[in-house]
Amino acid sequence: MKLIEILLLSLLFLNSLYAKEPYVDDELMSKITAKYKIFAKKRFYFLQKTLDSVQDASDKEKLEAVNNYFNNVRYVPDIKVYKKSDYWATPWEFLGKDKGDCEDYVISKYFALLYLGVNPKKLFFTYVKSTKFKAAHMVLTYFETPRSEPLVLDNYNLKIFPASKRKDLIPIYNFNGDSLYKAKAKGTGQKIKNQKTHKKWDELKLNMKRKKI
Amino acid sequence: MTLFKQVAIMLSIFLIIILTTVMILNFKSSNEAIQEGLYEDAKNTATSLSLSLGTAGGDISIMSTMINANFDSGNYLQISLVDVDEELLYERKIESKQADVPQWFLDAVKIEAPIASANVSAGWSQVGILNVQSDVAHAYTQLYTILISLLISFGVLIFIGLLILNLLLATILKPLKEVQRQAEAVIRNEFIIQDEIPYTKEFKDVVLGMNNMVSKVKAMFDKGNAELQRQKALEYIDAPTQLKNRKYLIDKLPEFLKIDASSKGGVNMMLALSGMKEANEILGHKQVDDLFRELANIFTTNSAAYPDAIVARLNGTEFAIFAPDCESEDGLTIATKIQDLTLKALTKAGLNTSVTYISIGIYEYNYRETISQLLSFSDNVLTQAKFSKTHIIEVDKSANPPEVMGKDAWKEIINSALNSNSFNFVSWTAVDTKQKQVVHNALSLTLQASDKLYYYGDFMAAANQAGLSNKIYKNIMNMMFTSPDKALKDLTCSLRLSYEYLDAIETYEELSKLFKAQAKKLPLRLIIELPDKFARKNEMELMRYKRLFEQYNIEIGIYEFIGESSNYQYLQDLRPVYIKAESSYFLTQTEQGLSALRLITDSVGITLIASGVMDLKTLEEIQKKDIYTIQGRATEMVDLT
Repeated sequence: MKLIEILLLSLLFLNSLYAKEPYVDDELMSKITAKYKIFAKKRFYFLQKTLDSVQDASDKEKLEAVNNYFNNVRYVPDIKVYKKSDYWATPWEFLGKDKGDCEDYVISKYFALLYLGVNPKKLFFTYVKSTKFKAAHMVLTYFETPRSEPLVLDNYNLKIFPASKRKDLIPIYNFNGDSLYKAKAKGTGQKIKNQKTHKKWDELKLNMKRKKI
Repeated sequence: MTLFKQVAIMLSIFLIIILTTVMILNFKSSNEAIQEGLYEDAKNTATSLSLSLGTAGGDISIMSTMINANFDSGNYLQISLVDVDEELLYERKIESKQADVPQWFLDAVKIEAPIASANVSAGWSQVGILNVQSDVAHAYTQLYTILISLLISFGVLIFIGLLILNLLLATILKPLKEVQRQAEAVIRNEFIIQDEIPYTKEFKDVVLGMNNMVSKVKAMFDKGNAELQRQKALEYIDAPTQLKNRKYLIDKLPEFLKIDASSKGGVNMMLALSGMKEANEILGHKQVDDLFRELANIFTTNSAAYPDAIVARLNGTEFAIFAPDCESEDGLTIATKIQDLTLKALTKAGLNTSVTYISIGIYEYNYRETISQLLSFSDNVLTQAKFSKTHIIEVDKSANPPEVMGKDAWKEIINSALNSNSFNFVSWTAVDTKQKQVVHNALSLTLQASDKLYYYGDFMAAANQAGLSNKIYKNIMNMMFTSPDKALKDLTCSLRLSYEYLDAIETYEELSKLFKAQAKKLPLRLIIELPDKFARKNEMELMRYKRLFEQYNIEIGIYEFIGESSNYQYLQDLRPVYIKAESSYFLTQTEQGLSALRLITDSVGITLIASGVMDLKTLEEIQKKDIYTIQGRATEMVDLT
C-alpha cells in the first residue's frame, strides 16, 4: 500500500516538474488583472483553457481553436485604441483591452500557436488587400509545407479557408520575422549587434520582451 | 621643474586623454552608424526588391533580371535569392573593390556589412528569401574621411584647449610666479615688496610672510645705511667747517699713492693759520668759527678745478689741499690766490694780518711715495713757509728717486708685450681664516719681456703714464676669455679692473662682444672687481655692467672701499659678493661704524675682505674686528684645511 502511495506521489512530483508553463505567468496575470480588471483575467483564463484543450491536438485543430478564440475580440482601429494610426499590440494588450485591429489578431494568434508548439516557419504575417473593404489588411497564413497552399486565419472572415478560397484577398507580401532573423544570422555567420529584421516586428519583439500590457 | 610646468603637463595629458577618448568614441560611433546605414540600405533594397520579385510570379529569369538591375545600379557586395528549401536560386556577388584609403586604415578598421533579408512570395506562395549585403568600399572611404576630419577637429580642439589651459594656469598661478620672483629676489638679497596680495589664501599667507621678512631685512639695511652715514659724518667730517678731516685724508691717500694710481702725482698744499689765539681774544670763538667757515669756503672754491681734490682740516689751525694732477705752477697760483683772499677775509674781520696770517707749503708729490713720506715732506715745506718772507714755499720735486728706466723704454716693452701677448696671470689667495680655506684667487699680472719678468708693480705705473693701461686690461680680458690659463680651471678667481678702463666709452661694448662670443667657454668662476669709486659715481654705467655680468654669470666684487659714500644704496643695488678694503681701514674704524657697515653687508649677503694683511699681528687685530677673510702675505701663515 505504501509503495503505491510513494509511486503516486512520485508521479505527481514528476508531473509538476514537466507541467507546461502557462501562456501567461502568475506575475503577469496579476498585473493584467490590476490594469484591466477581473474580466480580462477571465479572458486569459479561458484562453489558457482553450490552449490547454488543444495542447496535444493537430496543427489544424490548434489553428481552429486559436482562430475562433481571438476572433471573438472586437475589431477597433488603432487610432481609437492607441491614438496611433498603426500600432502592433502585444497579445496581453490585445486581450486585456479586448479590442484591436487586424495586425493585433495576427500577432495574438501567431504567439498562441507558437505556445502550442506550431513550427514558426509555417506561420507568416501576410500583407493583403481586401477587395471587399478595399483596404489594406493583414492575415496570418499557415503553410503546411513551404510549397503548399496556405490556410488563411482572418478576422474578417471568421473561418479558416485555404488561400485559393479567399478571392476577396489579394496577397501582397509575406513576412516571417523568425525565418528572416535565421537567414540573416546564417548570412553573416556571426551575431549581429542590435538585430533588426523588420521595424514593426522588432518593436513588437521588444514590447514582448518587456511584457508590455 | 616648476610647479607651473608640472601642473601644465598633468592637465595637458589629462586633456589630451579626454579628447582622444572622445575622438575614439566618436569614431567608433561613426563606424557603427555607417554599419547601421549599410544595413538600412540593404534592408530597404531587400524589402523593395522582394516586393518587385513577387510580381514575377516565380519566374526565375525575370527575378534574375530584377536582381541584376538592382545589383548593377547600387553598391552591393552580394544579392542572393534562396528558395524555401534554402537552395540558391540566383546570386550576384563581387569581390569588394579596393577602397581609396591607406592600407593601415583597412588593417586597423573592420567594417562588416550586415546581410538584410526579406521574404519573397508570388501570390500566396512562398518563393524564398532574398539576401542583400552592401559593399563596404564606399563605407571605408566615408569612414576615412570622417577620421581625417575628426583628427583635424580634435587637433584644433587640443591646440585651443592647451592654449586656454595655459592661459588659465598662467592666470591662476600668476601670484605664485610673483612669490617665486620675490623668493628669488630674497636669494639674491634684493628687497622686493609685493604690493598685489593674491586672493588665494595659501599664496596670500606666503606673500604676507615674505613681505614681512623682506621689510625687516630692508629696515635692517636702511638702519645700517643711516648709521653708517652718521658714523661717517662723525668720523670724516670736521663739524665747524664741514670740510673733510685728517682721518679722511689718510684713509683716502692710498687710492692716489699706489702703483696703478690713475694720477701720477700732484700737489699737497699745507695751510697753517698763525695768530689764531689772538684772533679768538679779539673776535671771540663764535666769530672765529664763522671766519673758519669762510676760509674753508675759499679753500674749497679755489681747488674746485681739480675734481679729485681733497680739502681737509688737519687740526685747529692747519688745513690741507690734496690736489692730484695739479702742476706745481698751478698750485702756486692757487696758493697765492688763497693767501690773498684769506688775508682780505682776516682784514675784513678786523684782524691784524701781521699777527694773524696764513702760511702755505706746496709739496709736489708723486704716486710712489708712502703716506708718511707725503705728510712728513709736506710738514717740512709748511714749516719752511711759516718762516719765509712770503709765507709761501713751493717744493717742486718729491724726494723720491727717479725712475730707473725711462718712459720710452717702458713704452716699448709694454707695446711689445701687447703685440706678443706676453702678459700672464699670477694669483694670490684670499683666505677665510675661520673656515681655513681659500675663498678665491686674486689674479695679478706679470709681463714677460725678452730678458726679464716684470711684476704688476713694475710696469703698471709706466703703463698709466704712457696711456697704455686700458690696452693692457683689454688684452688680459681677451686672454682670460679666449685662452684661459688651464691651471685656473674650476677655480674661483677675481680680476681687478681699473676705474679708467671701466669708464672708457668703448669698454662696455668690447666686453659685451667678448662675453657673447666666449663667456660660455670660461672654465672658471670669475669675480670682476670694480673700484668703490666707480660703483659710487657711475650709477648708470654700474647697472649696465651689473646686467652684463649677471647675464654671463660673472660675479662682482668691490675694492678700495673706504665707506665714504653718503648713501650705501648702491651696495644693495649692486649686491657684490664681497667688499675689499685695506686692513688699515678696518683697524681705524670705530666699533659703531663697523657695526653699521656689517649690518648693511649682512643684510645683503656681502663678505668683508681685509686686503694688505701682512703679518700675524695685523691678522689678529683684524679678527678682533670680526673680519675673517683676508688677502696679503699673512694668508701664507694660515694653516688651510
